[in-house]
Formats: sequence, C-alpha cells, structure tokens
Amino acid sequence: MNLDKVRQDVTETIYKASIFLDECNWLDWLNLCDKDFYYSIKAYSPEINKDMIYLDGDFEHMSSLTDMLPKHNTDHSPLTRHTVVYTVDIDKKNKIAETISSFALYQTQLDGINSHILAGETNLFMVGKYKDKFSLNDESPLFVERTVQLDTRRLDKGSHWPI
Amino acid sequence: MPAKNATQWSSIPGKLKSGEYVDSRIYSDRDIFEEELSKIWRNIWVPVCHESELPDPYCFRTMTIAREPVIVVRGNDNQVRAFLNVCPHRGNMIENRPSGTFESGTPSGAPKHMTCMFHAWQFDMKGNCAHISRAEEGYQDRLKNKDIGLRRLRCEVKYGGFVWVSLNDKIEKSVEEWLQGAFDCMQHSIDAEPLEVFHYHKAIIPCNYKLWHDTNSEFYHDYLHYHNRITGFNDSYFARQCKGFDNGHVNVGSFEVQYDQYEGFESREELSFPHLPANHWEMIDLFPGMNFNLRGSALRVDLMTPLGPDKVMIEYRGLGLKSDTEEQRLIRQRHHNSIWGPFGRNLHEDLVAVSTQQAAMNEWADERKILHGRHENETIHDEVGMRHFYDEWGKWMDRWPGDPELTYDQGLKKAA
Repeated sequence: MNLDKVRQDVTETIYKASIFLDECNWLDWLNLCDKDFYYSIKAYSPEINKDMIYLDGDFEHMSSLTDMLPKHNTDHSPLTRHTVVYTVDIDKKNKIAETISSFALYQTQLDGINSHILAGETNLFMVGKYKDKFSLNDESPLFVERTVQLDTRRLDKGSHWPI
Repeated sequence: MPAKNATQWSSIPGKLKSGEYVDSRIYSDRDIFEEELSKIWRNIWVPVCHESELPDPYCFRTMTIAREPVIVVRGNDNQVRAFLNVCPHRGNMIENRPSGTFESGTPSGAPKHMTCMFHAWQFDMKGNCAHISRAEEGYQDRLKNKDIGLRRLRCEVKYGGFVWVSLNDKIEKSVEEWLQGAFDCMQHSIDAEPLEVFHYHKAIIPCNYKLWHDTNSEFYHDYLHYHNRITGFNDSYFARQCKGFDNGHVNVGSFEVQYDQYEGFESREELSFPHLPANHWEMIDLFPGMNFNLRGSALRVDLMTPLGPDKVMIEYRGLGLKSDTEEQRLIRQRHHNSIWGPFGRNLHEDLVAVSTQQAAMNEWADERKILHGRHENETIHDEVGMRHFYDEWGKWMDRWPGDPELTYDQGLKKAA
C-alpha cells in the first residue's frame, strides 16, 4: 500500500464529497459511500450537558431522505462548504483510514425569506468537523462512516439537506 | 373572483364576522409587543427548563423571561428554586453560563455558592447573602448579609418534571390552576416515570412569537407538510378534535399516525410513551406561547422567548424516559429527529413559512386582515384554536384583536 497515494486519494474523496454536497448532487455523493455507510450529525449541548444526535441514518435511509426532497418545501439557498482536511490516519492491516476535517458552511440567500431584499447575501450557517472513516478495499476509498460534529447549535431555520 | 383593489383588500372578505380574523398589526406593532411583555409574559407561569437539566444539588440553568435574566438552581436539599440572575449590589448578572454546577469554586468565589464575579459577593442556593467582600470596612453596620439577598421568584416543578417560573410574586393561580386541565390528555403519560431531555437546539427567527404559536395551533397548514399529509389525511385524522381550556390553552386531540406510509419511516408502535396508544399523537398549545407535543415515542416541547415584534427565540427540546436503554434512546432520537430535528422533515418547513409570513406583514406594511375563520365542528382543520387564543389575548391586553385600537369591550360591543 502506497501510503502517500492513499492519503491523497482519501483527501480528494473528502473534497469531492464537499463539491457534490454543495451542488446537491446526492447521487454522486452517495456513490462515494459504501453500502454499509452510516451518517450522523451530532453536537454537544452545554445547555443539557449531553452529546446529541441531530440526524442519523444508514445508506438506505440517506438515499431515501435525498430521494424524497422534491416532495418537501425547502429553503433552496445554496450551501457552500469550506473544507480543510486536517489528519488522515491509515490502518494498513484493516485497510481503513480515519480522517478529521474542519468545515465552515455558508448559506447564500435565495428564497428563504424575502428574495428581493436578501437574495445574494452570504452568511455563515454552521461550523464543525467531519470525522470520516473509509474502507480502502476497493480501487477508490469509500466512506463507511461520516460524523458531522457541529459546534453550532443555533440553527435557525435548519435545513433539509445533508451537511 | 377578480383580484382586489386597496379598499377591498383591507375590508372583511365574504361573510366572515368579528372574531374570525385578527388585525396584522398585532404581529408587528412595537407598542403592542412591549405591552405583551409587561401585561402577559411578566404575569404568567413560564416553563423554563426541565428538572433533568439540574440533575444534582448545586446544578443551575440560566434563561430569560420578558428580558429579565433568571437562574434556576437545585439546592442541597434537592429543592428547585428560581431567582433573578441579578446581583443586588450593582445589578450585574451573576452567572453567564447556560448551565453548570456551583459544586466547585469559581475564580472569584467559594464552592457551593453563587458568586458575582464583579465584587465577589456570594449567595447560597436559597438566595441568602453568604458573603459581602470587606463588608465591615465598607459598610460598617449599615449593611449586613441579612439585609440583602437574591430576588426569589415563584417556582414549581410540574407536568413531566418541567420547571415553571413566574415573575409575578402575587400570581394567584398555581401552575395546576393556571393550566385548568389542559394537560389531562397526556399527564398520565408524562408523569408515569421520570423523563430526560435528550435533544436541545434553538432557532432565532424573524417572526412574531404568535405566528409560531398559530402554526402549532392549527393543522390546516398540513398542506405545507408532505409527511403529515401522507401519514395522516384519513378519516381519523379529520376527526381529531380541538378542545379549548380556560386561560387560552388548547388541546389538539389524538389519532393513529401511519408513519410507515412515508418512505423510509417506520411505525412507532414498539416504543410508545407509557399509557399512550401506539402511534398516537397528543398536543397542547399553552397560552401565550408554549407547545407540548407527544408523538408516539418522543415528547417535543417548544418554549419561546419573544425578542422583538418580529423576532423570537424558540428552544426545542426532545424528551424520552430516564430509564431508556441505549438502544431505546437511539430509536427515540431518530423518531424525534426525523420530523422535529433541525434537519427533520417538518420543522424546517414550518420555520420557512412563518419567516415569510412575517416578512409580508412587517410594521411598515399596510394593515390587513389575517383570517381565522375556518369552522369544521372544532376538528383538526378548524381554526378554533387560534380564535380561542386571541380571545384570551384580547382580555389580557384589553385590545380587540380584530382592531387593536379598540378596547376589548369596545370590540365585543361592535361585534354584537
């Protein structure tokens, strides 16, 4: 296993995921994921002193969630991620890579409230870390787990979209 | 029918009568908002947190009611008490954190005391002043510990372990008397065993608090929610009965939700709340702005803090049973989040709708009539919940909701 190449492939996969999510290209995003993929959005609340799960689901659940989006009324204001991969740890024996990336998610207003006044304005929506796990069994790394660990707990209108 | 000109637009449409509409100014006028804070929010019982957020003696939570900073503490006698979070010396807020414990000391103060960091005055969990820094040197015999203390607020723990606080020392009704049976539909379920908060998030949105409460008071807006239509919209859904209680509270009656009709969702029958029939759904809307929502496996509670005529903070809590196993808790969280979490199907839709509603009736807009005129034998798409609320609102404010320039009695006479 060429560790440098694996690191590069894993890093590029994380950035591809950010691009696909920015584009709301759910199919291509899920194609980066293993069939055993587990996704969760978590946060720690100092208010109730607990780790919380804000959303979670397996591959099938996330696929269904994204399939059903056209049925729902949604704020379509685009989300833009600034993702930086911090660490890539490779377990050669088990063919797994674990990574930590920082992200800042911006929202550029479109139709959320009053488009005439607000459309085009970009605001910071949430910040946190992506904690990812990859399987290295195939040609390309595949996500087997993503934990979106949010620092932000004031989520205002929230979102229907995976973060 | 043709679109309306300005005169027609501001007049009462069709055969709707007084009481079946409100004036949009009640959602946007700054003076009305200030009156609501002083006449209503300072004089009622407000559920501020849950007792599980204060698990041990010396634990605390901080919050705001009608702009007053409040702190709730659990004493070493295990009793929960509420105080103004204000030091009697120079008016500083004593505690800035959202929660924590006074078990250990702070940089300015001793363990097991509330310490104002400014001049290190300290108070015990009953609000007594325990220490004034350099008291004799500065005050001689003019001011002693016994002369000063925290402002204690009326406080009760009731209905599923919620902590209720009132800024009004003279409030005549207990929490039970104030609620007048509104909790009967779910009390058996939420008082069966101790509950625990597993979810917390907040939203600050540009809308009047009453618009959010209206959304919780009527289900005609299920046209907004694909999930509710596909899992409801059957005979038993349309037979759900709304029931009004004294003091403006409303219960929206239950029915069996068909969760598995929504692709990817599952029935909640395996993990219902105690004494709640499988997949059933009880909801209580409390005047002036709290919502208790028991859906199958999870309890959701919305607590509002009005911040301005066009701004509100909503704290969302999800609760399960303290006795939940890890697996049960994960299931409850998933059920709760799928609909009510910040990334759930329904909550985002509701928040978008009320934000755009307020945008269309800001304080500079022409006043208009907001229709609350649906009558359907007080069933689920009847707007009786809102009419009940605004009748109560009118009495508290001495304003007629249909025309807030009239007093309540003037409006009543005109309606007759």
